[in-house]
Amino acid sequence: MLNPGNGEAPEYVAARIRRALAEDPRTAELGIQVTVKGEHVYLCGSVASQHCKEELDRVAHEKEPTLTVHNDVDVVEAGEPGEPEVLR
Amino acid sequence: MIRIAAVGDVHLGPDAQGRLRPALEHLPEHADVLLLAGDLTRHGTPEEARVVATEFQDVGVPVLAVLGNHDHHGDAVPEVTEVLTEGGIQVLEGDGVVLPIDGHRLGVAGVKGFGGGFEGRCASAFGEPEMKAFVGHTIEIAGKLQSALESLSCDIRVALMHYSPVPDTLHGEPLEIYPFLGAYQLGEAVDASGTHLAVHGHAHAGCERGVTPGGVRVRNVAQPVIRSAFTVYCVEP
Repeated sequence: MLNPGNGEAPEYVAARIRRALAEDPRTAELGIQVTVKGEHVYLCGSVASQHCKEELDRVAHEKEPTLTVHNDVDVVEAGEPGEPEVLR
Repeated sequence: MIRIAAVGDVHLGPDAQGRLRPALEHLPEHADVLLLAGDLTRHGTPEEARVVATEFQDVGVPVLAVLGNHDHHGDAVPEVTEVLTEGGIQVLEGDGVVLPIDGHRLGVAGVKGFGGGFEGRCASAFGEPEMKAFVGHTIEIAGKLQSALESLSCDIRVALMHYSPVPDTLHGEPLEIYPFLGAYQLGEAVDASGTHLAVHGHAHAGCERGVTPGGVRVRNVAQPVIRSAFTVYCVEP
């Protein structure tokens, strides 16, 4: 179904944003899921730092400035592990 | 019991310096060796490699690593490897090392690995030169992994790679991208060489545990999967 706003299918918009997040040196994130619903963009996945998460917002917004970006990306934990796994 | 700590995909850069350090301070209480399963950096620059080298310096146990696709992105693999090596990290690519641990010999062989997909749903070296080169790269790396594993004289043999040798540990990733996440030839090399454990990263949305067709345990230690600074596997010789 086409996006009534600009005639472009949301899948192509999502693909363009996803490629930008992978190829822009500020982000270089290959594992971010991008979903476009109407005028809204939803980002999911995990990154190594809060700075990386904020860069996702910046790059996605620059690519599609008319859309609202919702950044649901996690910053991955870096604490000590739980119990070890014993392999027999 | 040999205690093997492992983590992949730490993706360190200057803004993340010191992020893992608090957990690493206690590493020798948990483990005898630390394996890094690639994607240590974001863009594969020597500057980022210096952050990695500092992060894992003097952690109290030997540190062995393979590089990942991110570590190749800057076309500076020799420089990145040199920085890591100078920082005390042994970088493996088609070779291995045997470490004496508690009266036993732990052997670890490592490669970056590559994609291509898994049995029945994989790429073939056919058609365009680009396709032949893609599959040829995987086959070459898998061959190096098998040779390196077979050359180790040890009690416990571990395969360290960035890309996955099995689809099991990719569960959670979109099926369509499996061919970019690993290749069955890596699993074949693991199964042909009397290996006890295979460790990889790369698949951030995958799951931790899997097994090769030959019954070797596989663990995806990508940091978003293990959700800690490292995880530990205890293996009995």
